[in-house]
Amino acid sequence: MIREDFNSKKIHFRLFFHPLKLQVKLTFYNAIFQAVIVIAIGILLPIVIQRVVYNHIDTRLHARADKALKIIQLGGLENIVKDQECTFDDYNIFKEEYVSISPLSFMPHDFGKERIENLERNIGNEVVKHRVISKAFLYDNQLYQIEIGEGLSTIEQLNHIINKFTLWMVVIIVLISVLMNMTLAQVLLEPFNRIVTKKLKAIHHPNTFVEDHIKTSTYEFSYLDQSINEMMMKIRDAFQIEREFITNVSHELLTPISILQNRIENILSDQNLPHEVALKIVESQKTLVRLSKVIRALLYISKIENEQFLKNEQVSLQPLLSEVIEELEDRIQQKNISVREQWDCDFQLKNCNKSLMHTMLFNLVSNAIKYNKNDGEIFISGSMKDDCFLLSIKDTGVGISEDQLPFIFDRFKRFRPEDDVSYGLGLPIVRTIANFHNIRMDIQSTPDAGTDFTLTFSGSAV
Amino acid sequence: MNVLIVEDERQLSHEIEIFLTKQGYQCDVAFTGKSASEKIYVNSYDFVLLDIGLPDYNGLNLLKEAKATGKESAFIILTARGSTDDKISGLDLGADDYLSKPFSLLELQARMQAILRRKHGLKNNTIEINGFVLDIQNRTVSYKSNPINLTKKEFDILHYMALHKNRVITRVQLTEHIWGDVLEEDYESNYIDVHIKNLRKKLSVQHNADFIETVRGIGYRLNMA
Repeated sequence: MIREDFNSKKIHFRLFFHPLKLQVKLTFYNAIFQAVIVIAIGILLPIVIQRVVYNHIDTRLHARADKALKIIQLGGLENIVKDQECTFDDYNIFKEEYVSISPLSFMPHDFGKERIENLERNIGNEVVKHRVISKAFLYDNQLYQIEIGEGLSTIEQLNHIINKFTLWMVVIIVLISVLMNMTLAQVLLEPFNRIVTKKLKAIHHPNTFVEDHIKTSTYEFSYLDQSINEMMMKIRDAFQIEREFITNVSHELLTPISILQNRIENILSDQNLPHEVALKIVESQKTLVRLSKVIRALLYISKIENEQFLKNEQVSLQPLLSEVIEELEDRIQQKNISVREQWDCDFQLKNCNKSLMHTMLFNLVSNAIKYNKNDGEIFISGSMKDDCFLLSIKDTGVGISEDQLPFIFDRFKRFRPEDDVSYGLGLPIVRTIANFHNIRMDIQSTPDAGTDFTLTFSGSAV
Repeated sequence: MNVLIVEDERQLSHEIEIFLTKQGYQCDVAFTGKSASEKIYVNSYDFVLLDIGLPDYNGLNLLKEAKATGKESAFIILTARGSTDDKISGLDLGADDYLSKPFSLLELQARMQAILRRKHGLKNNTIEINGFVLDIQNRTVSYKSNPINLTKKEFDILHYMALHKNRVITRVQLTEHIWGDVLEEDYESNYIDVHIKNLRKKLSVQHNADFIETVRGIGYRLNMA
């Protein structure tokens, strides 16, 4: 079965590639990008915060160690002890800070330098993590070590809270941003959809193209719009040139043919013409008629394709087909073919060209006669199916083999029996007219059993 | 009968002139719109064969002008453009008929005779062939008042052959006349032969129909005194 469906290629393409919408893509890529940022922040933020906090603590610890050492230099160790009016434990309820000075039994290798590290310190039976600065010093010929510690638990807790809060903030911001991106993409791409619907989909022929501009503030879309306009103008010019070409060909080829044909007729009317010569001239006449028919058929096809026919008539299919059958009545009788018709309802085709519709049906019925057997049958049926009207013209003729079916609408393809005198333009004309009217054609054929042409008209019945 | 042939293609107008002169028409020829316009103004023609694709003149304007002079000439438009628009506007402007190139000279003559019959409302609108009477108006054939039932195409063939009696008409010419502009292919098929066979059969029921002669390999001729 051949389906005259030009969209089938496109549908296949979609099935295989399934392209995504730009809006979806933009949003998707954006989301991935943001997610990477969130993860990076999640990893880096705690490290950075800790750095900042430690820096801050360390500066403070240095200052305190300097201050303590200065006091010792000025007033001795006793001064520090005198300063404290309470016990160490009383002072250090929250185990946050402590100062300890203890004698050292050996000389550390980094004497005179300050050391800062995180240490676990047991204060009042509780192990608390501290940031500790320690420095060894000499006092009264005795080696001491001063340690000033600051508790880390509060700070770490704070750190944790800040980290958590920041992460949540980032996640929320990312979600909002993705949503906004999606909306923005839709708004940004809206002119694109307008360009496609108005400038490309709605245009069936360059002559119906209106050269106006789609309003957009995006440079790319205005560029696309402009380019489409320019392209359509070029196509329109090309069609115009073809139209002129058709007119020129009509005139420049048909006029000399006309001269020859009339001259041949004048020669043939000569009573003294020898019969042998007359035979040859008649053969020439046939050839000439053939030439003229081919040119006229090709021009006819071109004119339809170039939309040089109006579609402003209404036609009822049943009476039109009866008209065609009546015209072909002689041929039907000559082959003793019986024509059966079965109409569930009639169908009125709106916005069509009656003369073209007549030619289309004429060629189909004439084909059904030509390739039928003697005493054969032609079965014509009209019926509604799913909002479409189906017109089927079925013969009991020689049929077409399956490997030839795809080519029957090709111009100049001839594959019927050897004695066939056609030149292969009957069915191409049928197809061109069908396409012009958006009529779908399906063909089923069995060799030696017959062929069934089904025309599908969309629209409602009468 | 005076005929003005307005056709810029000299060879073509020459062939038409030869043919029509042989048929007894007085022919005048104009190769340009300007000279045609002058000739139409000065002379009286029964027929003007007008090519609308003239180099210096829009044929349709010429037709409009000529109609404005109020003369009774019949106009047949000839065109190689084959455009239906031309045909419609031509007929709207008052042309009597329309032929697209290439056309058969026999067809041209048949159209001219049909126009004559229409214009003059001929009362005796019949042709008699060996006792068979063709009524052109009602498209019937009878022999001694016995009607003969012919199909539309059989009548057309008989009528066409009677119009061009005593001359050979080729199968191509007959096919062109019967099927005309139908863009369909099997012009070489034997439909014409079958039609002639049936025609002879139907006529000879009444009377000898051997006035329809087969010219081997060429076509048919209707012999009539």
